[in-house]
Amino acid sequence: MFKVVLAVLLAFAALFAKEPGGKEKYDIDISRMSGTMVYGQVNQMIMYPSKYLGKHIKMKGIFSSYYDEQLERRFYGCVIQDALACCSQGLAFELAKPRKYPEQYPAEGDAIIVEGDFDYEKDEGGGGFPIIRNADMQTK
Amino acid sequence: MPELLEKLSFYLDFPFVRYAIIVGVLVSLCSSLLGVTLVLKRYSYIGDGLSHVAFGALSIAAVLKITNNMLLILPVTVAVAVLLLCTGKNARIKGDAAIAMVSVGALAIGYLLMNVFSTSANISGDVCTTLFGSTSILTLRIEEVYLCVALSIAVLAVFILFYHKIFAITFDENFAQATGVNTTIFNLLIAVIVAVIIVLAMNLVGALLVSALVVFPSLSAMRVFKSFFAVTVASAVISVVCSLIGIVVAILAGTPVGSTIVAADIVAFGLFYSISLIQGRGV
Repeated sequence: MFKVVLAVLLAFAALFAKEPGGKEKYDIDISRMSGTMVYGQVNQMIMYPSKYLGKHIKMKGIFSSYYDEQLERRFYGCVIQDALACCSQGLAFELAKPRKYPEQYPAEGDAIIVEGDFDYEKDEGGGGFPIIRNADMQTK
Repeated sequence: MPELLEKLSFYLDFPFVRYAIIVGVLVSLCSSLLGVTLVLKRYSYIGDGLSHVAFGALSIAAVLKITNNMLLILPVTVAVAVLLLCTGKNARIKGDAAIAMVSVGALAIGYLLMNVFSTSANISGDVCTTLFGSTSILTLRIEEVYLCVALSIAVLAVFILFYHKIFAITFDENFAQATGVNTTIFNLLIAVIVAVIIVLAMNLVGALLVSALVVFPSLSAMRVFKSFFAVTVASAVISVVCSLIGIVVAILAGTPVGSTIVAADIVAFGLFYSISLIQGRGV
């Protein structure tokens, strides 16, 4: 009975599956995951950042940047959007070898692959946000 | 196939995926059990109405910045369920009209409050997640999983303990009353359980799709099986299997969890409908 249920599950999954998995090269390779799993995984990183500190991460998504006028700092992010583009999840990143913005960065919305070390940056208000440090960014 | 198995096994290593499967199975099991009663009592659409009420309550909780929003959502939804299911024939606004009024009213007020008293930078994201349950099942905290397990056990226990009374009230409330069953108390109990299930199911499929969990498995089972017991058991099995298929396909293929589960329920309904046609039972 269990084999029948498993076979049905896999048959359904085969209809929709996008990419096969790869070999483990990172602590967490989000680029291998489906959109739904990425959302869940990134949510975990945001909710429980201490579990992921120092882990080497690889993710793919779309490039996004934002300039904070108060901090006078530009943030770069790798964002994953869902079908309705309303439930986006993403992580900020900081390149190991800084580049000039905007000349040496991809255009907003371009597909990118980012890998680096997970960190949590605390802000003055007592909050904070997760960020990938020492990152390497490639356009797809 | 081996690649899919490897991928599935890789995903199952993540605790949040295991939580989603546990909660998905429990919620679909509970909703299908009560679904049979609700469909037979002509209250198929109550799931939709109550989930919109829960959405309205969630908006109020967000505006009031209540950390544990369940403290507000659950009592409000239970209260409305009791009003809708227990006022019965004495109500001035009855049945489908009352459900429709409550449903759209709560949805509108909820969305209005979220916009006017915005507490989040991503209102459309919050609304979208609540209405379609895009991925909320994969963002559950362990406390929420424990709460869901406890409430599901309570629902299952009540259903099993009072199975005969629920059966009597479902088919003929007047006859049940004449034979000494306290129909008011049991209608109240059903209303409370329905509200609890709806609130739990919102995490799984979202407010707009909750009705599917209540209606589809029961209607599928009714195509082929005829006794109350057989329909209830078949409905539970169909619901759990469809939820499992939906969750697995959603995480493997990256589709939204709620709508994938409902799609699986629709396929199951088509399958059971075809079986009933082959058996010559007609529509």
